[in-house]
Amino acid sequence: MDWPSFFQSIANGILIAGLYASVTLGLTLVLGVMGIVNFAHGELVMLGAYNTFWLFTMLGIDPLLSIAITAPLLFLVGIFVYRFTIRPILKDPPLNQLLLTLGLSIFLQNLAMILWKTDSRSVITSYSGMSLHLGMVHVGATRLITFVISVVLTALLIVFLHKMRLGKAMRAVSENNTGSWLVGINVQKTYMLAFGVACALAAVSGSLVSTIMYTNPMVGFKLSLKAFCILILGGLGNISGALLGSLILGLTESFVGTYVPEGSGWAEGISFFLIIVVLIIKPTGLAGTRRE
Amino acid sequence: MSGSPQGKDASAKMTLLQVDRLTKHFGGLAAVQDVSFHVDTREIVSLIGPNGAGKTTIFNLISGVYRPNSGDIRFGGESIAGLRPFGICRKGVGRTFQIMQPFPKMTVLENVVTSALFGRVPKISMKEAADEAADLCRMVGLGDKLGESPKNLTIPDQKRIEIARALAVHPKLLLLDEVMSGLTPTETGEAIKLVLKLREFGTTILLIEHVMKVVMGISDRVIVLHHGEKISEGPPSRVVDDPKVIEAYLGKQADGEGDTTC
Amino acid sequence: MGSSIRWKTTLPLAILCACLLLFPKLVGSYFLHMAVSAILAMILASSWDILARTGQVSVGQAGLFGIGAYSSALLYQKYALPPVLGMLASALIATVVSIFLGYLTLRLRGIYFSITTIAFAEALTVIWLMTPDVTGGAMGVSTPPLFGGDREKAYYLILAILAAVVAVVRLIEQSRLNFAFTAIRENEDVANVLGINPTKYKVLAFMISAFFTGFAGGFYSHYNTYIIPYEVFNLGISIACLVMPIFGGLYTIAGPIIGTVLIKAIEEYLRVTFSYGHQIAYGLILVLVVLFMPEGLLGLWRGKILPLLRSRPGR
Repeated sequence: MDWPSFFQSIANGILIAGLYASVTLGLTLVLGVMGIVNFAHGELVMLGAYNTFWLFTMLGIDPLLSIAITAPLLFLVGIFVYRFTIRPILKDPPLNQLLLTLGLSIFLQNLAMILWKTDSRSVITSYSGMSLHLGMVHVGATRLITFVISVVLTALLIVFLHKMRLGKAMRAVSENNTGSWLVGINVQKTYMLAFGVACALAAVSGSLVSTIMYTNPMVGFKLSLKAFCILILGGLGNISGALLGSLILGLTESFVGTYVPEGSGWAEGISFFLIIVVLIIKPTGLAGTRRE
Repeated sequence: MSGSPQGKDASAKMTLLQVDRLTKHFGGLAAVQDVSFHVDTREIVSLIGPNGAGKTTIFNLISGVYRPNSGDIRFGGESIAGLRPFGICRKGVGRTFQIMQPFPKMTVLENVVTSALFGRVPKISMKEAADEAADLCRMVGLGDKLGESPKNLTIPDQKRIEIARALAVHPKLLLLDEVMSGLTPTETGEAIKLVLKLREFGTTILLIEHVMKVVMGISDRVIVLHHGEKISEGPPSRVVDDPKVIEAYLGKQADGEGDTTC
Repeated sequence: MGSSIRWKTTLPLAILCACLLLFPKLVGSYFLHMAVSAILAMILASSWDILARTGQVSVGQAGLFGIGAYSSALLYQKYALPPVLGMLASALIATVVSIFLGYLTLRLRGIYFSITTIAFAEALTVIWLMTPDVTGGAMGVSTPPLFGGDREKAYYLILAILAAVVAVVRLIEQSRLNFAFTAIRENEDVANVLGINPTKYKVLAFMISAFFTGFAGGFYSHYNTYIIPYEVFNLGISIACLVMPIFGGLYTIAGPIIGTVLIKAIEEYLRVTFSYGHQIAYGLILVLVVLFMPEGLLGLWRGKILPLLRSRPGR
């Protein structure tokens, strides 16, 4: 048994799970608070990645530090998008919401293609090539930092939702709309801010993505599908489910990549296969919330 | 309608619907707990109880919308528990919904044609379905509104669509969910006449009702549910004097519980 | 009275048919190609609409399109199956796939189904890339030009298929299937209680949709002479298939066709202006339609414009 490979696989899986989790957090927040599956979430991540790339390329700002600029920027973009496209459809049937956010997604993908062409961009910093040795395992510096930031981000989100007034308002609204309104919570404003926060989260994960993966107009789409896979694996609209789902996906991809012949090619498809298989077995997802 | 009026012979009563120890939970909460009852052919039985007692849940279980957690439902001697709704419909169970759900983009006539086309065994042609649907609409009082869109109709008219739709499947057992509420005295009188006429034609009827006048007036038997359990059963006169029933209703009033989920 | 009404609908239709049949004689090769392309898109749009009538929004039609394309191309490559038979085979293979896929996934409601269809098309891309010995992989598959490059013949073939699709949809609309599909779409639970088996009818709609989509795929592979996975399983195709009917008007015959014509026109204009990203129009149109005209162009016509025309003074 090749223990170093085994532990390396685990390490890689956990590290990438961190990134996936950070991508999924914003999607989970919007789904949990307002019940909308935002198909354009991946594109917001993509915008965050491009933002980071341009700040790095034009102004030399370190990708991880640029989060301080990208996050507030996308927060505002989120508010704008919410006001004009999401708010009108809050009460629409889910398929309308799907079509609208899908339309947004296509729009943003193609906008990126027009503005920035389809070439893949990389963000290479001074520490991009470095790696650390932890026992038998090699860990890339950027991957490790990304993982740490993801963990911190998740922790901050949990604290926000449980300890801060706005966060608690978001939780209240997600559980009981009318009840929240009755106790004086401004439901509309809470939705709007939740969407903004979700976009800011997307921005952060976008910055992380730019350091580990290539940045191109389609990167958001690929991550969206992984995020959907995670939602379906872990349960819709709750954070612990998102974390669990991320781990399952990350580890599966990693092990397939290591142990299956030509695994890196197949690993790309894991999220798709998992979506199909899980939904066939359990049509409401692994932790589904349907009465019957 | 199913068969011509038959002579009433007490010894020829057959059990059409048999519900045995039916139980349904929703995430830890028992909506229906260990309920047993039966309905004989051509009986009119009312299912009553305070809000949240589990009445509509029972209807959902009988019509196949929910699967029971335990217990059995037998229709015409066959077990139907766990069968899918369309299968149960084809065996002869028709129902209306408490919250009216006509197909919004279809006309009144088309709504009824739909169930006429698919709920009947054997299947009938489109022409037959259209004719029969028109007749049913006229019978329930929608004769002049065949081409209307349901959203333009009053609540009583929407109820009529529900009833016509349920009748179009030629049910042996008709489940009526609160069809009398919100009707004027005249409309209530007409509805009662309709229900009695249906029984004459051989349809067995299980009603969920809150309107006590109707319950007392037309039921052969009354079954009372409270908190998902059956607490009383018998002819209307007996049930209304049952202290358990009185306590259930008075108790509900004192609590002020207003949960409308049945 | 009766005969004058018939004049109103038959005459324009007859003129339209005549134009369509004479079209290749009147225009050059470029426009003929555009027409073939547009008609292919109309077939895909109408096919998508058939499934949509049951309330299932597929965002993965490219999956069946690609299966159709590869079926025909590979059957030609390996067994020299003549193209038109290949297209028929594509249609049948796609239909068979849709039966399996349908029974497995059509129980899924709403967006779960849609997400699964996206995953389906993407999974096919991965499978194709990873099995080059069977599928040609990333290098793709080539076939000789359809009908030796005779675009006129290709035009007539694809026009005939469109006519077939339109005829089938018309038949559906006049049959009891229309009631089943509409009932399932508007309220699946109630339809179920009224005796309609939702899965059976959804799968039926899926099969009909898959048949024509598969045929279109087969046609495309020969007409285009070269196919690769990224192209035929592409999300862009799936999106196009749904934007066109939504724009034109869902659950109608004319809607998908009108939507296709307009979108193709917009797309062609944008393609000349930008080398990439011309599908930005799709995104914009989807957003605008959902926000402002959910009934599509036909709905706009019927709901707003027609009444205005009817209420003009002097009528």
